[in-house]
Amino acid sequence: STKTCLPSLSFPFHPTNGISLKQCSSSVLQKDYDIKSSSGKLNLSDACIKKLQEIKGNGEFLRVLIQGGGCSGFQYKFSLDNSVSEDDRVFEQDGVMVVVDKESLNFINGATLDYSEELIRSSFQIVNNPQADHGCSCGTSFSVKL
Amino acid sequence: VTKRKLLPTRAALTLTPSAVNKIKQLLQNKPEYIGLKVGVRTRGCNGLSYTLEYTKEKAQADEEVLQDGVRVLIEKKAQLTLLGTEMDYVENKLSSEFIFNNPNIKGTCGCGESFNI
Repeated sequence: STKTCLPSLSFPFHPTNGISLKQCSSSVLQKDYDIKSSSGKLNLSDACIKKLQEIKGNGEFLRVLIQGGGCSGFQYKFSLDNSVSEDDRVFEQDGVMVVVDKESLNFINGATLDYSEELIRSSFQIVNNPQADHGCSCGTSFSVKL
Repeated sequence: VTKRKLLPTRAALTLTPSAVNKIKQLLQNKPEYIGLKVGVRTRGCNGLSYTLEYTKEKAQADEEVLQDGVRVLIEKKAQLTLLGTEMDYVENKLSSEFIFNNPNIKGTCGCGESFNI
């Protein structure tokens, strides 16, 4: 029988599918990881790694997405996801995984992902983004250097 | 005989149960602080944003809100803008934050941090 490993993983996996989930996901990740090393970079801060280690589980990882919106034109969105698609870049460090799609990575190339903890709020933030011109005070919105 | 006049009073700020719990937890091992202080600052794309800090003493002009055993002080500057506001604490896997549901505001920023009156 011919079984193909789909690049985008969807859950739940059919148990009679014949493909081991582990094999499938690792080959996909490996591929993305290789492309990543050639272009695009996202730094992970220590605080961010620590937080991600706390919340990871069930194969979930953090996805960073850029959307139009916010007061400065673009905004950062963070979500938990468990499927990697072909367009994604995977950043792995100290056992944690952050995924950014190609399109979004253009907007945050070279930036640092941080987890900021303050009394009033604790959240993931993109800091020191070389692609951003100026941002909103809250740090979730930014405009792009032209 | 003068009739005693009863005037309804309302707390300037109300706390949701989750906010009360979080504040209790925050202050648990910090006996030097008497509570939290809420303020506003001119900042952000929509004019004002909230500030929150630990406080050691009550300033004369501060409005004191005592609810379920926790103390929240409101800065003089923030008293008018915060009147009737509900303070909530929302926590999920990715973030946790205090949210102010303020009936006085006219507009907010997309991120919810900045607002105008």
